[in-house]
Amino acid sequence: MSIYGDSTKASSGTNYLTHTRGFLSWALTLDHKRIGVMYLVSVLTAFFFAGMAAMALRLELIAPGEWFLSQDNYNQMFTVHGALMVFLVLIPAVPAAMGNFVLPIMLGAKDVAFPRLNLFSYWLWVTGALFFVLALLTGGLDTGWTFYTPYSIEGDDHMSGAMGGVIPALTGAFVLGFSSIFTGLNFIVTIHRLRPPGMTWFRMPLFLWAIYATAIIQVMATPILGITLALLIVERAFGIGIFNPALGGDPVLYQHFFWFYSHPAVYIMILPGMGIISELISVHSHKHIFGYRFIAFSSVAIAIFGFLVWGHHMFTSGQSPLMNIMFSAITFSVSIPSAIKVFNWLATLYKGSISLNTPMLYALSFLFIFTIGGLTGLHLGTLATDIHLHDTYFVVAHFHYVMMGSAMIAMFGGLHHWWPKITGRMYNETLGRIACGLVFFGFNATFFTQFILGSKGMPRRYADYSAELMGAENFEIFHFWHFWSTIGSFVMALGFFLMLGYLVHSMFKGRQAPDNPWGGGSLEWQCSSPPPHDNFSEPPTVGDCYDYSMLEWDEKIQGYHRREEAATSGE
Amino acid sequence: MMTPASFISMLALAAGSPPMGPFGMPEQASTIAAEIDFVYQVITWVCIFFFVLIVFLIVVFVIKYSKPPGTKAEGTATHNTPLEVAWTVIPLILVIGIFYVGMKGYINMRNAPLGAYEINVIARQWSWQFNYPNGATISELKVPRGRDIKLIMSSQDVLHSLFIPSFRVKQDVVPGRLVTLWFNATHEGEYDLYCAEYCGQQHSTMLTKVLVLEEDEFARQIEEDRVFMDMLPPDRLYVAGPRLYARCKSCHSLDGSTMTGPTWKGLWEKTVSGETVFTDGTTLKDLIGEGKMFMNPEDYIMQSIANPQQKIVMNFTGAMPTFQGMLSPLEVMALTDFMKNLDKFDEKGVPKDPEDELQRVIDKAKEAEESSN
Repeated sequence: MSIYGDSTKASSGTNYLTHTRGFLSWALTLDHKRIGVMYLVSVLTAFFFAGMAAMALRLELIAPGEWFLSQDNYNQMFTVHGALMVFLVLIPAVPAAMGNFVLPIMLGAKDVAFPRLNLFSYWLWVTGALFFVLALLTGGLDTGWTFYTPYSIEGDDHMSGAMGGVIPALTGAFVLGFSSIFTGLNFIVTIHRLRPPGMTWFRMPLFLWAIYATAIIQVMATPILGITLALLIVERAFGIGIFNPALGGDPVLYQHFFWFYSHPAVYIMILPGMGIISELISVHSHKHIFGYRFIAFSSVAIAIFGFLVWGHHMFTSGQSPLMNIMFSAITFSVSIPSAIKVFNWLATLYKGSISLNTPMLYALSFLFIFTIGGLTGLHLGTLATDIHLHDTYFVVAHFHYVMMGSAMIAMFGGLHHWWPKITGRMYNETLGRIACGLVFFGFNATFFTQFILGSKGMPRRYADYSAELMGAENFEIFHFWHFWSTIGSFVMALGFFLMLGYLVHSMFKGRQAPDNPWGGGSLEWQCSSPPPHDNFSEPPTVGDCYDYSMLEWDEKIQGYHRREEAATSGE
Repeated sequence: MMTPASFISMLALAAGSPPMGPFGMPEQASTIAAEIDFVYQVITWVCIFFFVLIVFLIVVFVIKYSKPPGTKAEGTATHNTPLEVAWTVIPLILVIGIFYVGMKGYINMRNAPLGAYEINVIARQWSWQFNYPNGATISELKVPRGRDIKLIMSSQDVLHSLFIPSFRVKQDVVPGRLVTLWFNATHEGEYDLYCAEYCGQQHSTMLTKVLVLEEDEFARQIEEDRVFMDMLPPDRLYVAGPRLYARCKSCHSLDGSTMTGPTWKGLWEKTVSGETVFTDGTTLKDLIGEGKMFMNPEDYIMQSIANPQQKIVMNFTGAMPTFQGMLSPLEVMALTDFMKNLDKFDEKGVPKDPEDELQRVIDKAKEAEESSN
C-alpha cells in the first residue's frame, strides 16, 4: 500500500473558492482556507500602506533638509511604518495568513479546532486595524511603535508632536494582541487534537513545528503586552503614576514590560518564516530534509530562550551592569539554534536535485539575508560594541535583515510556493524570478548601506542630517550612504509592484495549476488545486512528508504525480 | 620594533588627528575606542568567515546540483548526529569567546576611574546643558584632553541619550534618575555629540559639539564661560546674545522662518505693539500694564522663558520646556537686549560690526582690568 493513500481531489466537483458565493459567504465563513485568504489580502494591504510610509521616509532622507517631509510628518511616518509593520503585518503574516491556509491541510485535518474563534480573531484583526485608522484620524501619533514613556504619556499641552492618536493606537495594539492569542491557542489545540491516525509528532512537516513553537509564544507572551498597554492607557487617561517619573513611576520599568513581550514577538515573526524555509528547501531540492529533529527542537529552543533575553534591548537604558552582562550571555544562547537551522538547510541542498523555481529563489535569498541578519546580531549582543551601535542605523539594518529580509522574504517565498494551491493558478515564472531578483538586490542595497551608516554613528529616527548640524565630514558620509539606501528602496519597491502585477494577472489569466507543481510530499499537495471545501473526504494516510522517491515529473501537466505502480509493487 | 601600524598611528598623533576605526567605525578619539574597535573587528572577521563559507556553499551547491524537473536527488543520509553536535558545539565555543571579550570591554567602559573630573549634564527637549564645577553653564561640551571625565546626567522631561560616536560611549538620560558615563579624550578637536533616543519633534536637531582642549586652554575657556556675563558693558548686553541663543536655535529662527517656536525676527516690535495673539484668543496689549499679567514688554519675555505654558502664541503648540533657574536674570536681560538689537546681527546671529563680537568685548574688558591692576 502506498503511504500516500488516494488523492481526494475527485471527491467533489467544487473547490473552496466556488463552494459558496457572495460577500457574506466570505465574511462569515468558518473555512480556515477562506479565513487564511482574507488574512492574506488584509495583511498585504497593510503591508502596502506601511511600505508606502517607508518609501516616504527613504525619500526624505535621500537629501538633507526637510525637503519632502517636515520633522513632524517624518516622526509620524516612522511611527506608522513601525506600528503597522509589526502589529498588522509581521505578527499575523505567516501564522495567521499562511498558517491558517496551510496548517490544517498539512496536518490532514478538515479545519482548525475552533473555526468560530478563528473567524473571531480575523475580525479582531480588522477591529485593531480600524483603531489604527482612528489613531491617524484623531491627530496621529509620533511616539515610535515602542510607545516609550514618558514621551507617550505627556499631554498635548507640553508636546508639539501629534499625540491625539496615542490611546486609539494603544487600544488597537491591545485588540490585535487578542487576535494573536486566539490564533495561537487555536493552532496549539489543532495540532494536539486533530492529527489524523499516523500523523505522529515527528511526522509533522517542520512548518507545523515552527507554527506550534510560535503559537506557544503568542499565548504566553502577548498577555504581557496587553497588560502593559492597558497600564499605559490608564496612566495617560487618568494620570495614575506607573511609568512617569513625574508621578512617581519608572520609565525603565515600561521598557522591561514592553520588551518582555516584544522580544519574544521577534520570534513570532521569524520562527514561522524559518518553518516555511524548511519546507521550501526540501521540496525544491527534492531531497529529504537533513536533521529533522534538530530543526524541530531548535524551533522549540528558540521559543524558550526567546523569553529570557529581552534585556538586550536595554543595554544603554540605565539598567544595572550586572543585568546587562547576564542578558548578553543569555542572548548568545539564541544564536545556536539559528545556526543549527542554517547548517541543516545547507546540508539539505547538498546532493539534492535543485529546481530554481521562484519559491526556491526566495528561500536562497532568505539564506543569504538571514546569515547576515543573524551574524550582525553578534555585534549587538556583545556589550562593548552594542553601546556604540545601539539606537543607530546598525540596529535598523540588523532588524530589517531579520524582519523584512528574512521573515517577509520567507512569507513571500511561501506565498509563491502555495499560490498554485491557494488560487489554482500558476503565475508567470520568469516575472516571478525577475521580481525576486529586484527585491533581493534592492533589499541589500537599502539595508547593507545602513550597517555602515550605523557604524559611523548615524542615530536612528533622525528626520534630518545636515552639514550645519554635524561636521562636514560626517555629513558627506551620511549623505552618500543615505542616497544609495534610498535608491535601493526604490528597486525593492519596483520588485514588489511587479509581483503584485503578475500575481493579480495569474488569478485571471494564469495557467491552471496542477495539484503538485513543485513535487511536494506533505499532505496539501495531495489535495486538488485549489482544495475542496472540506480538504479531505476521509482521513488521509500519513507517511514521511520529506520522502520524494514516489514522485515523478509529468511533462504533460507540468507537475508531479505519484508513481502508483511503485506504490503497489515496490519495496 | 616599530610595526607599520604603530608607525601610522604615531604619524597620526604627530599630525594631531585621531586614527580611524576599522570597518567603517569613526575616528578613535578616546582611550577605550581602540579596545571596543578590537572587539568589533574580531566579531566582524568571524562574521565574514561564516558568511563567506555559507554563501560559498550555497553557490557551489546550487551550481552543482541544479537539475531539470523530475531528476531524482542523489541524496545523503537524513541525519548525522556527530555532524549536528559539531555545528552546535563549535559556534557555542565561539560565542562564549565573543561574549567574554565583549563583557571585559564593557566593564572597562562602565567603571569610571576614581578622581575623574565631574560635569553635570541636563538634557531637555531639545538641548543639552553642561554645568561645570566652577559654575560655568554652557551648551557645548568642553573637556580637557587626557583627563578622565565623568558626566553625571539627568533629564528634565523625556528620555534622551548622550552619544559621542568618536568616543564609543552612549548612555540613556532618564528623567527621575541620575546616570553616569565616563571617557578620556585622547585628541584635541571637535566631535559630534548626538541625542540617540527618540525624544519628540526636534530629536534630529538635538545635537551639539564636544570640544577637546589642552588643559590650559580648557581652564581659560571654562573660567571665561563662568565670568563672561560680568565682563559685559551694561549698555551692550546684546553681545552675549548669540552665545545664549545657541540653546534656543533649534526652535526659534532669526530669519523669519517658522520653526517649532515663533521666529525672533520682529518679535520685539510685535511685543511692544502688543499685537501678539494667543491660543486662548487674548491679545498681548490687553495683558501688559500696571496690575495686569505682564508689567511691561520685558516682563513678558522673561515670563515666557520661565513659564512658557502660561500663554501660547496662536498657531504654535506649547512645546517649550521651562528655563526657570537655568538662566540668570542678567542672562535673560541679555537675551531680551539681543531681541531688541537683532538688526546688528545677520540671520545666523553673527554680529555685523566686529566690535560687537563677544570675544573682543571680553578681551578688552580683561585688558582694562589688567592695566588698572
